[in-house]
Amino acid sequence: MKLQLGFIEIRDIRFSEETKVEGGVLSVNADEVLAHVFQDEEVKACIKKAHFDIARPGESVRITPVKDVIEPRVKVEGPGGQFPGVIAKVDTVGSGRTHVLRGMAVVTAGPIVGFQEGIIDMSGPGAEYTGFSKLVNLVLVCEPADDIQPHEYERAVRVAGLRAAVYIGEFARDIQPDEVKEFETFGIKEGMEKFPALPRVAYVHMLQSQGLLHDTYVYGVDAKRSLTTILLPTETMDGAIISGNCVSACDKNTTYHHQNNPVVADLFEEHGKTLNYVCNIITNENVYLADKMRSSDWTAKLCRLLDLDGVIVSQEGFGNPDTDLIMNTRKIEQQGIKTAIITDEYAGQDGKSQSLADADPLADAVVTGGNANQVIVLPKMDKVIGTLDYVDKIAGGHAGSLRDDGSIEAEIQVITGATNEMGFGYLSAR
Amino acid sequence: MVKEIERAGIPVVHMCTVTPISVTVGANRIIPTIAIPHPLGNPSLPPDEEYALRKRLVTDALHALASHVEDQTVFEGTGSSV
Repeated sequence: MKLQLGFIEIRDIRFSEETKVEGGVLSVNADEVLAHVFQDEEVKACIKKAHFDIARPGESVRITPVKDVIEPRVKVEGPGGQFPGVIAKVDTVGSGRTHVLRGMAVVTAGPIVGFQEGIIDMSGPGAEYTGFSKLVNLVLVCEPADDIQPHEYERAVRVAGLRAAVYIGEFARDIQPDEVKEFETFGIKEGMEKFPALPRVAYVHMLQSQGLLHDTYVYGVDAKRSLTTILLPTETMDGAIISGNCVSACDKNTTYHHQNNPVVADLFEEHGKTLNYVCNIITNENVYLADKMRSSDWTAKLCRLLDLDGVIVSQEGFGNPDTDLIMNTRKIEQQGIKTAIITDEYAGQDGKSQSLADADPLADAVVTGGNANQVIVLPKMDKVIGTLDYVDKIAGGHAGSLRDDGSIEAEIQVITGATNEMGFGYLSAR
Repeated sequence: MVKEIERAGIPVVHMCTVTPISVTVGANRIIPTIAIPHPLGNPSLPPDEEYALRKRLVTDALHALASHVEDQTVFEGTGSSV
């Protein structure tokens, strides 16, 4: 299946009477977008009120608590639409042509769940830890209705962000892209005939699925209720996977991460040159041991069935998912298939503790996204989009994290995407 | 904590859901439990069945505590069925 992505560069966002994309600027009629967002019954029932704000790279702005980050896109040719099974009707995506508003994102924020949401600083030392500081962000700040359950509110904010992104993406439909790129993987036999000498490589993409607001959806299916299965890389790129997560900010995969997964991008770069990129295998991270054993059995079985030579495994979150990571890796290696894993570390503030909760000698090729416990001081920003009320409570913060002078002392765990386990970040040992 | 208490000469049963981690960190007597958000219960069961499940888990743990082990042992086939 072949997918064309047409990239339209967005350099700025402005509020305006009319919503349009022109000359690299997105003009937004905020009332119009909000009206569309609130057409959804659940959004209407669970969100008391909402407003938009804009955060630009380099500004003295802090966005918190951040729930999700979403890239606005529109399907212009071929089957399906944005976020199939959630917003668009179920149909297989990953072929045809999709237009992308690159350089911007829709960010959902506000008093979400209260303990595991993140911070995006648009300037200062915190900005260096998140790629989202480099985007022009249209922030949808929501407030919960009275007396609703956290899971109802999570769902409403999730859908509100997706609806806003889809509405804005629609304005990219008739714009001539600045760049068009093509991505294609092949059927099993076709791929072997095309690249007989190249190693067969797949990407084992682990999805957070612990439940209790730690969930990921694939074509609208709750990943914890699914067995390990195969996805074409272009489906992932085309909105098949969305985030429903309220986990530690540094290593949760937002919807934007799924849309722009760097492992997928880099494997496509090498596809047909140094390797044959066969497919993605998606597997979950559930809270029952039997599920962990079953899902990792299936991952290894699919790898063997596909006659793979090598696999890249990425994790989401930390703690007990370390066991899913190690089970996957050990079982795949036991099939005679080489693995490299991408994870992050919780090695303590001094970096001296064991980095992962589980380990195995077969997991001997490891890429780290960094130590989430590393302490950082984030200076006061002139403007806060959202609220600072939860800074002391979010994972990585502590009582007293928010200081009297408005600065924040916390672990980098609080920064959205800081130790991302797809490698979507800037931390380096060099 | 398990290792430090055992170092002091007191045997420990580690009741946990993700037994591979318990094995990795070096517990000697391990009882598999229900799920990470609710290791010692199962909210989807009716109260009387859940009480029976919890009692069985504790009984199994006491049995494990009194058992002689030569090596790290996961006491399978006890109260862990879900």
